[in-house]
Amino acid sequence: MTGIIDARKMWGKHIANALSYAQGYYELLCYTIRNIGVLRVAPVRSVFYKQVYFTGIEALSKVSAIGILIGVVIITQVVNIVGPDAVLIGKILAWTIVRELGPLLAAVIIIARSGTAIASELGSMMVNREADSLKVMGIDPVDYLLLPRIAGITVSVFILTFYFQVATIAGGLAFTSLFKGFPFFQHLKGISSILSSFEIAVSLLKSLIFGCTISIISCYQGFNVESSITEIPQASTRAVMQSLFLVFIFDGIITMVFFL
Amino acid sequence: MIKVEGIELEYFGSVSLEVKQGSVCKVITKSDSMKNMLMDIILGLKKPAVGRVFLLGKDIYSISEKEYIKLFRMVGVVSEDGSMVSNLKIWENIVLPLWYHNRSLPADIEDRVINITAGMGIETSYLRELAGRLPGPVPDQVKRLMGLTRTMLMEPDLMIYGSIFEGMAQKTAERLISMTARFHAGKPGRTSVYITSDPLSVAGIEADQTLEIGR
Repeated sequence: MTGIIDARKMWGKHIANALSYAQGYYELLCYTIRNIGVLRVAPVRSVFYKQVYFTGIEALSKVSAIGILIGVVIITQVVNIVGPDAVLIGKILAWTIVRELGPLLAAVIIIARSGTAIASELGSMMVNREADSLKVMGIDPVDYLLLPRIAGITVSVFILTFYFQVATIAGGLAFTSLFKGFPFFQHLKGISSILSSFEIAVSLLKSLIFGCTISIISCYQGFNVESSITEIPQASTRAVMQSLFLVFIFDGIITMVFFL
Repeated sequence: MIKVEGIELEYFGSVSLEVKQGSVCKVITKSDSMKNMLMDIILGLKKPAVGRVFLLGKDIYSISEKEYIKLFRMVGVVSEDGSMVSNLKIWENIVLPLWYHNRSLPADIEDRVINITAGMGIETSYLRELAGRLPGPVPDQVKRLMGLTRTMLMEPDLMIYGSIFEGMAQKTAERLISMTARFHAGKPGRTSVYITSDPLSVAGIEADQTLEIGR
């Protein structure tokens, strides 16, 4: 009996925590939308550019390399299943990459690379009371620390998703044309005829939502570290796990809404 | 300018004080932790269980976050660790509030920074070397001087110095004391408050008022 009561209490605590986080994320999202104009302030814009550089540009080579490798893996499996059917291979590659894997894998890479970095960077700033220092300088720490990071990551995920998709498709096609002798441009033509602007728009919508989700969660978790250094790894872990969880949930919802 | 009404400091009891506009005031606390606690309360960073704090006529614990941020554009705070933002270089730290509030930097910003730091005894070549470094490995006393430079650039109406002369070489401390006195006189109505737990470090300051808290 005590065990059941304890389990109920534990579940109650988890649900209360989840609701509290959801409310915090929603409030931060609303605040960001209302105050996005703060990016006009030069030092805030400078943080935004740094974030785009760190998340979007520095990650470009890694994202492209992973994209090419995934393209090779997918196309190898597809060729093994369907044989040398250029149109079908193109369809499968385009749909898998543009509809699903592109936005999802780009988001996973950003979570691993930048989500943890942001949560721990902000966490250590909170422990060192740097947000308080900003406040007494008359600078709103949310405007200066969080908003440009949220905007920077969202833009970066959007751009990296596009690059990831291009690298994956190009990598896959280059592999088949080099090692299987399939005509590269014929495949490319096949893919471009299959892809509609609707599919590309949904894919980019996904990347925007994923970028927003990752940045809001990472910033919120980092910013809510209080005074102990042991909270920093906990905040980073929460940022990664919650970002992954929500990205997969949103992916499922968007896919069901647009493609079911 | 600053009015503290019956706040309760944990372990130290009730505190009330008032600092008039335009005056120079020394607040000497019983201990360093009391000083830190008092500074946090005066700066609106830690709400006391009872009592009220007025800064520039505003009850800082009843105003909105936006009003608080606006209010602190007129308040300069120099703390003993310099309050640097760790991921900004020293130069970016020095100009941050001025750049943020004015949206652009004045053309003579470099000359102004060089003038202020020269008054502290920092050579231009060392300043140039320092400017491009992150604050992490920079000694605390140097960070403190950079924090003082940053605050002076803002020309605030109220200056709050938290233990900034402690641990300084006597010559440097004397130079800083006379520098802060000149800065105080540089703007009519400016108020300067020195908060410390070490009375010797502020002995050279000519104050209109000396408040001893918990001593």
